[in-house]
Formats: sequence, C-alpha cells, structure tokens
Amino acid sequence: MFQMIADAINQAGVNFVDALVRLLPRMVTTITIIAVGWLIAIFLRGVVRITLGWFKVGPRVERVGLAASLKASGLPPAESLAGSIVFWLVWIGFLISGIDVLGFASLQGLVSEFAAFVPRLIVAIVIFVIGVVTANFVWRAALLAAVNSHAPSPRLLSGAAWWLILLVAGAMALEQIGVAQTIVMTAFAIAFGSLMLALAIAFGIGAGGVARRIVEHAFREPDRPDPDEVSHL
Amino acid sequence: MTDDPLWYKDAIVYQLHVKSFADSDGDGMGDFRGLTTRLDYIRDLGVDTIWILPMYPSPFRDDGYDIADYTAIHPSYGTLDDFRAFLDAAHARGLKVITELVLNHTSDQHQWFKEARRSRDDPKRDWYVWSDTDEKYAGVRIIFVDTERSNWTWDPDSKQYYWHRFFSHQPDLNYDNPAVREEMWLAMKFWLDLGVDGFRVDAVPYLIEREGTSCENLPETHDVLKFLRRRLDEHCTGKMLLAEANQWPEDVRHYFGDGDEFHMAFHFPLMPRMFMALKLEDRKPLVDIVERTPAIPDTCQWGIFLRNHDELTLEMVSETERAYMYDEYAREPGARINVGIRRRLAPLLEGDRRRIELMNGLLMSMPGSPIIYYGDEIGMGDNIYLGDRNGVRTPMQWTGGWNAGFSSADPERLAQPLISNPLYGYQAVNVDSQRRFEHSLLNWTSRLIKVRRSSHVFSRGSTTFLHPANHRVLAFLRTLEAEQVLVVCNLSSTAQAVELDLRHLAGMLPIEMFGRSVFPRIGELPYMLTLGSYDFFWFRLRRL
Amino acid sequence: MRVPETSVLSDDLVRDLMAVGQVDVLVGVPTLNNAGTVTSVVRAVSAAFDQYFPRDRTLLLNSDGGSTDGTPDLVRGIRHDAGTVTVSHRLRTEHRISAPYHGLPGKGSALRQILTVADLTQARAVAVLDADVTTVTPEWIAALVRPVRDQQYDYVAPIYARHPTDGLLISQIVRPLMRAAYGWEVREPLAVEFGCSTRFLTHCLGQDIWTSELARYGMDLWITGEALSAGFRSCQAPLGQRLAPSSPDRPGFPDVFAQVVGSVFGCLDVHAAYWLSRTGSDPLPVVGAEFAAPSEPPVVDAARLTQTLATDLRELQDVLKTILRPETLAALNEAVAGDRLDYTDALWVATVGEFLIAHHRGIMSRDHITRALVPLYLGRVRSFLSQYSAAAPADVDAALESLCLEFERMKPGVVAAWRETVKR
Repeated sequence: MFQMIADAINQAGVNFVDALVRLLPRMVTTITIIAVGWLIAIFLRGVVRITLGWFKVGPRVERVGLAASLKASGLPPAESLAGSIVFWLVWIGFLISGIDVLGFASLQGLVSEFAAFVPRLIVAIVIFVIGVVTANFVWRAALLAAVNSHAPSPRLLSGAAWWLILLVAGAMALEQIGVAQTIVMTAFAIAFGSLMLALAIAFGIGAGGVARRIVEHAFREPDRPDPDEVSHL
Repeated sequence: MTDDPLWYKDAIVYQLHVKSFADSDGDGMGDFRGLTTRLDYIRDLGVDTIWILPMYPSPFRDDGYDIADYTAIHPSYGTLDDFRAFLDAAHARGLKVITELVLNHTSDQHQWFKEARRSRDDPKRDWYVWSDTDEKYAGVRIIFVDTERSNWTWDPDSKQYYWHRFFSHQPDLNYDNPAVREEMWLAMKFWLDLGVDGFRVDAVPYLIEREGTSCENLPETHDVLKFLRRRLDEHCTGKMLLAEANQWPEDVRHYFGDGDEFHMAFHFPLMPRMFMALKLEDRKPLVDIVERTPAIPDTCQWGIFLRNHDELTLEMVSETERAYMYDEYAREPGARINVGIRRRLAPLLEGDRRRIELMNGLLMSMPGSPIIYYGDEIGMGDNIYLGDRNGVRTPMQWTGGWNAGFSSADPERLAQPLISNPLYGYQAVNVDSQRRFEHSLLNWTSRLIKVRRSSHVFSRGSTTFLHPANHRVLAFLRTLEAEQVLVVCNLSSTAQAVELDLRHLAGMLPIEMFGRSVFPRIGELPYMLTLGSYDFFWFRLRRL
Repeated sequence: MRVPETSVLSDDLVRDLMAVGQVDVLVGVPTLNNAGTVTSVVRAVSAAFDQYFPRDRTLLLNSDGGSTDGTPDLVRGIRHDAGTVTVSHRLRTEHRISAPYHGLPGKGSALRQILTVADLTQARAVAVLDADVTTVTPEWIAALVRPVRDQQYDYVAPIYARHPTDGLLISQIVRPLMRAAYGWEVREPLAVEFGCSTRFLTHCLGQDIWTSELARYGMDLWITGEALSAGFRSCQAPLGQRLAPSSPDRPGFPDVFAQVVGSVFGCLDVHAAYWLSRTGSDPLPVVGAEFAAPSEPPVVDAARLTQTLATDLRELQDVLKTILRPETLAALNEAVAGDRLDYTDALWVATVGEFLIAHHRGIMSRDHITRALVPLYLGRVRSFLSQYSAAAPADVDAALESLCLEFERMKPGVVAAWRETVKR
C-alpha cells in the first residue's frame, strides 16, 4: 500500500514536473511578451504625448473646454491622458496575448474578444469626448445667450443643456461598448423626457412673462423704440 | 453749276478772305484778280461754293465788317469789273459765290452816318439809333467785351449817344425806319443782279432794340428779315441767305421762319461741342446738342463748321464748359479774346493729323452743309499776337518760297505777316508741297470731300444716334429714303472696342466708303467694331 | 452667368467696364435690400459728380449682395436731373453700374469687387458709401475724394458730427483701443464711409484677407488698420451727421457687439507686428471744416438701462474666471457689490485688455469671448451715462479723452501679455 501511495505521489510529482516543464517555456514566452509589451506601451505613450504636444493639442483642448472638464474630474491633462490610454490599451493587448500563449482553456478566445472590444471602446471614448466638448460649448453658448437676452436662470438653462448632451453622449458611449444596453437606453429615455418636460413646465409657468416678451420682441413693429436702446454705433 | 433751287443743302462751302488769299499786284494785300487765279485750286479741292469776307470800301477797323459803301469794291481788292470777272470765272468752274451782307451796322465813315451826325434834323439822322442818355436799353450784354465798355458812344458833333452792339466805330442802323430796310434791300439787289448767289448775313439777332429786352432775337427783327426775304424771292430764284445768329438752336430755329426767312443758319453751339467731345473723349456734348436741335423746314439747312474768321466762340456754352474749353484749348491767355479762342484748327489740335482728320470727318458727316475755312485744308497755323482776330487771317500759304507764293511784294509790305515758325510756317505747310505727295492733308481732304459728295445722304439725310455703352465712340446713322450710312468715330486717343445694336439692320452689308472694303454682315448679335486712336468709319449699308 | 470661384468680376460686369474705360473718380455703394434709402444716396453721388467733379471721368458702382427688394433696378433707374443746358451742363457721360458680387456674403466681398473695379479702371480716387444713410450729401463725396485727388492722401476716414454720448461702442471700446494700439487718434475707426487712392487699394487687394472671417464683418476696421499700419498717408474728413434708419432685419445687439468687437480684436491680431512696437499716439490730420456736433444728446434714460450687471456677473463667473485675471474679476465683483455701480476707467480698460488677450490666445471659442463682454460693456455704459448723460459735451469729451489715455497706459501690459502668448 505504501508503495502504491508512493508510486502515486511519484507519478503526480512526475506529472507535475512534466506539466511544469511543458508550461515553463510558455511562461517564459508569456513573461517576455508582457515585458516587451510594457516597453512598447511605454514607448508609444511617449510618442503619443510628444506628438500631441507637437501639434499643440493642449491649447486646443483647453479652448474647447475639455481641459477644464478633465481637471474637474481629477484626470491628468489631455496629452498625458491620451498617452495613458494608449499605454493601457497596448499593454493590455500584450497582456492578453501573453496569457493566451499559456494555453489555459478558460482564457482561450480572450484575445479575439479583446481585439473585437477595443475598437468599440475607442469609439465609445471618442463619442464621449465629443459629447463633453459639445456639452461644454453648448453650455457656454447657452449661458451667454441667456445672459445677453436677459432670460431667467441662465445657469439653470445652460446647465440643463450641458447635462442633456452629456447624458446623450454617455448613453451612446455605453451602448457602443454594450454595457447594460436596455437599462441604459430606458433610463436615458426616462431622464431625457422628464428633463424636457420639467423644463417646459418651468419655462411656461414660471417664466410665462418672459416667454411672452420674447415672442413680442420677435414680432414687434420695427418703429417702436426699444426703451432700453442706447446709441451704440 | 447746279440749277437746283435747294443747291445750298448739298453745298460744301470754302470760306476765304480776299485780303489774305492771293495778291496779284504786289501791294501786299490779296485782291480779286489774285483770287481768280486760284479758282482752279478751290475747284479741285472739291468744294462748290465760295464765301468771301466783306470786300466793300471800309476803313478796315474791323477787317472790312465796318462798311463805308455797300455797293462798291474796296480799291485794295480791285474794281467792280475785277469782281465781275471773278464771279464769272467762279461760275464757269461750277462754283457759286456768296458774299457778306452786314445788315446791323455800318462804319462811322459811311456817308449815311456822316450825314446823320451832321445834325439832329438831317434826313439820315433816323437811320441810326440815338439817345440823349446812355441808359436806354440798360442791361443789354456787350459783345466785344475786351474792347467796349458800353453799347452807347457819345457823338461830340451832334451831342447825342449812338447805339452800337459791336465796336464803337460801327453804329447800328435803325431798322424801325422803313427807309433803312428799303436801302438795304437795294444793296442786296445790286449784288444779286451782278450774279452773286447769296449772302452770309452778319449779326442778324441785333437789328431791332426794345426797352426792357435783351435786344436780341426780337419779333420785329424777324419782321425785317422776312421783309428782305420776300423782296429776294420776288426778285429772283436760286439764291441763298445764310444767317449768322450765335444763339441756342431753339432760338436760331426762328430765323428759318416757316421757310420764309433764312435758307441757312450757322449751327454755332455744335462747333465748340465737337472740340469738347474730342478733349473729353466723350460723345455726350455732341449728341446732346444735336438731339436738342429742333427740326427745320425742308427747304432749310444748317451750316456747320470747325473754324472761321472769328474766334472759336464760347458764348453758347455753360460756364463749366467755357472754363473747360479755356483750360484745355487756350492755356495761353493771349489765345483768348472776347468770349472765345482765336486759334486755327491745326494749332487747336496740336498739329495732330489724326485728330484733324477725325474733326473733318465729323464735319463732313454731321447734319448740315459744311464750311471749310481757308488754309485749314493744309493745316495752317495762327499768330495770336497779331491783335483782334487777325491771327487766323494770315496770308494763304501756297509755296515754300517768296512770301509763301501769296504776294510778290516785299515781305515787310504784307498787310498781314506770314506764319513762319518751323511748325506751321509756310516753308513747312504749303499747298505746293502737299500737292506733291498723295497722303498729304490736302489730298486727304479732297478725297474726304469726294466721298461725302458721293451720296446725298450726308447733306439731306436724317440723323439717328446709336448709344453704345462705350461713351468714347460716337455712332450714328444717316438715312435718306432707302440709303443708309453708318458713321462710327473713336473720340479717344486709345484704341477702342464697341458693340453696336444694329439688329434692326440685320442682313445688311456694311461697305466702308473710302476703300470700299466689305465688312461682316450685320446679324442679330451686337455688331463688334474695333477702332484705332481717333479712327472713324463711314459704312454704306447695302442689302446684297 | 457662371463665374469661376476665383473671379471677382463677372463677364457682364467686365463688359460694362470695357465701355466705361478709364475713370478718375469712382464711388462704390454696397447694397443689400436698401430700396428705402438708396435713392437719396445715388442722387447725392450724381449731384456730387455734377458740382464737384464736372470734368472728371466718374463711375458709380453699386455692388449688390442679392437684394430682393429691387435695389439694383432702383439704382439703375434713377434719372439724372438734367436741368437746362444753360444752367448746369454735365460735360461727360454718367456711368452707373449695378452688379452682384460673388464670394462670401458680407461687406468684404462687396468691397473687394469695388476695389477691383477701381484698380481695373485706374481710378485716381475712390469713395465708398453706405446705402443705409439718409443724410448723405454731395459734400460727403467731395470731402472723401478731394484729399486723395488733390492732396495725395491715400486714405480718408470720416468724422461724423455727433454728440459725445452718441456711439458708445465706438467711444468706449473701438476708438480708444484702436488709438492705443495703432498710435493714431482716429475718431471713427469703424469707417463705413471712406476714401482711398489707387496706391492704397492696390495694396489692399494684394493682402490675404478677402476670404477670411474678418472679411464678413470687419473690413471697415481692417481697412483703417491697414492704412495706419502699412504707413499710408491718412487723414480725416468731416462729413456731418450720420443717420441711418434701423432696419427690422437688423441683428440683435449681442450679435452686433460680437461682430464689431470681434472685428477689432481680429484686426489687432492681423496687425500685431505693427502695433506691438508702436508707442504713444499722434493726431491724424483733419482736412476740411468740422461740423458743429448736435447739442442735444441722444435720448436715453440711463436709469432704465437694464440693471443686470451684478446678476450677469454671478451667472458668468465660471466663464469670466477663464478670461479675466483673478484680481480684475475680484475688482469687478466688488464694483457691483455696492449701491452704485462705478465701473471706473481703469477697471474697464483692464477688462477690455484681458478680453483682448483671451481672444488672441483663443482660450475658448472667440465668439464666446466677445459675447461674454456684452454684459460688462452694458454695465460700463450704464456707469458712464449715470455720470455723463447730462454733462456738457466738453466734459464728456474730456472724459473720453481720459479714457483713451488710460488705454494707452494699459498698452505695455497688453503688449507683454501678447508677447508671452507668442512665446508659448
């Protein structure tokens, strides 16, 4: 009996060593891939940062208000962020490729799934970034238009515009990467609809006078002088 | 010589001064015998009528316009027989002759005035216009502004003022007096019976004076003129009266009456506008005045000219136009006299052959009978330092030799000095040398006259202006029944392109009249022409 | 007629110009639906040609932006009042062309067409008028053309007879800013009417400005700036009172403000190489007698001016924080906090200067930057009028002169900040 156990243990040990011996080259390969990938990712991060710096992306990003949004979100500046995104995308790619080499069944197909996922992720990021930029622009434009036309609650109006656009962009981005699509779309529809309804009610009831004045101004007879008119030119 | 009673409508007139044309007896002054020897030249030029400046006895204080005897010839010009011989010789060459009739005034040396000023009771007293004061007819303009201060002059002999619209030595006749009218008719009859074909009647607007008026163009003046015309028509046919009335076209129109006053009248306002249009390089002044010219009776004709023995008058222009003309054509103050410019054609155009040709081309194609001033056909110059308007009345330049072939007298004896500068002097500008080469101005003018004569459309046709967008191009149609001539002139010193709207003439062929070249057929599209500097075309339009 | 994109002149216009030939005086009148006012302008030009330029070859060019109210037909159809030959005789053919312009909508394209035609016709002097003005007289044209034609000036800016409190946008921003920058005391830098020489217009045509954004609304200012910065001999000519009826289609004030102030800032961008090194200011010669300014100020109730600066500041804090320096924003907040708004010259000048720098740096949409200035400007106007609406004109003039000097004092700071931007 002891011999059987010893034999079994021996066999297990041999099998283990066999497996280990078979695994070792693959582990070395994996580690190599991951290490090289890390180096490439760092290199690419640097390239991206330098390239974006060379094209003066920073000031342009600042101009469209994205820089402020990034800062407010605790994120690094645009060039660094872009470099980091590139770094992580590349390195994760190499990571998954390396893990795939190990040949673990449960991890098979991970690479192809990742490869399929990355473009959608990029698109989602782009959509969201565009959304943020647009939201910032519209927020500022709405704020200024409201202030200059003496509309009530300019910040509320412009803020609402900002949130609306961000909501849309966020929903589109999430849909793009396929996260809880149904819930996201439904929640978006409810939120968007409610917001519009709330705004309409607020404006119609709370600012009816303003609404009337705006309409009157649009259709007023040209020769009646505007009492606030000063000779500017 | 034509028997057509309306011969003057087709006439091309050559105006000359006997004094300056040709001297036969070496006294330094031209005469009728000398003139007679030059009639072939005049005939060969292509003209058919001669107009001679006053040839009457005169103290010559106004170059013969101060007449001392209406029915005689000035001794310096010859005798009455010399005049008859000249007249016959002219007629033999098919040339009509018109002389001057100075109706408005006489010389103060005329026997009538001498008698009139003898006493207030003299029968001739009422032949002139007298006044105790010089305040009558106040406000009437002075014509010779450079020399006269008033239209009245005091006669110390008869102790009254006498009226004169011109020089003080030219007292105005009183046409309210029937005797004056009758006497002037007799003077006319004298020359008509000799064979003269007509009269250029000087200073017609001023015959009658009335208080509170401008004393010009009064209805009574027209009555006088109609009277003289009536007597003329009763006496003979085929004669012509040409009015010198320096007025706006609508005022001159009255001098034609209903065909019962003058046969012809000078179109004074047209002349400065031709020069103006050329300088402005814009047809506007010319087109405006012609379009403004009223229609005249069918038996009447306008007399058109570029220059004459007087100054280039600027009376019938606006102040703006006058100032412009002075600035552009008379920069030298000495060139200005009275209200005009005392220069000949060539110096006015700076001796530019192309401009001289263009102006002559206009003269020969505009509506009216053209009058050429002697010497302009060879491009004679002038002398503004000679005083009055004598600078444009210098001796004709026949040759480059002794006294330009005008006279055998000593040069110092000449009544008028010759033009002798290198540019216009007789050595450079004379008939003989211009006869020698085919393309001289003289020969060119002859050819121009010949082409003009080739069609009555120029003399009797209607005139319709085209109005192309290019204002530097003057274009008009002359039409007489079925005959049509298109005249196109470039008033600019630079080459021009012009598109003419000739749709209503579609299908016709323009044939250039000087060289008979055929131009492209007129179609529905705008007719494009290009013209060189100061170029002009005459196209006969034919349907072939 | 299809026009290649690079052609400024259509074939029809070229054909018309062939007929016109060389020109001595050209008057350009850009139009867009000005049927109500263009007749008086055209008649004034026609009368000016008669009275003041009877011997000159003249051309009136109407550059039209696609009017739908029959403006071009009106322009072509206005008859010259011939009168009688003895009274007034026009020497030359009157040329009047109405042609549509092509290119970017806006005055820039109209001006480009006018200047191109002037160049082609070798015009010795050019005047540009506004078709909106009802007070144009023949003397305006003479005043703009004569200094060019007779005294060899290259550029003539107008001077309008107006009360010092009239035209506040000009007196509070445009004039002092342009004066401080370009170093010339131009009273009306936004010269809607102006005169110029062939030399200057040829120079302008050679600049790469005609398809830029500035060409839409800022050409009047650019032309003034270009004349001053490129060293062309310039002067000012008094024209008289300028009245233009307000059109029902006119844009709202914030739009007008953005156009004008955006154009001023844009011009300063274009001409930076010149004004950054220019110091002080010199008077610009005035050719002609000045008109007495109206003694009555424009009717305005300063108290009724919308008192919203405090509220507006609150609303715009986030935006203003990005544009203004902290101390300027703080001073502004303090100024509105009190009972009486006192928007001092120094504070106003600092405001404008920092907005200029922000605009130049493009820290956000430039249109947003200029629109953010609107409530501050209105506050400044209210503050100014509360002090000077009832003051004597001489006192107002003195205050405006003082403002100009304040702008000049600010200039070194602006120059330093500008240059820092360039280094970045």
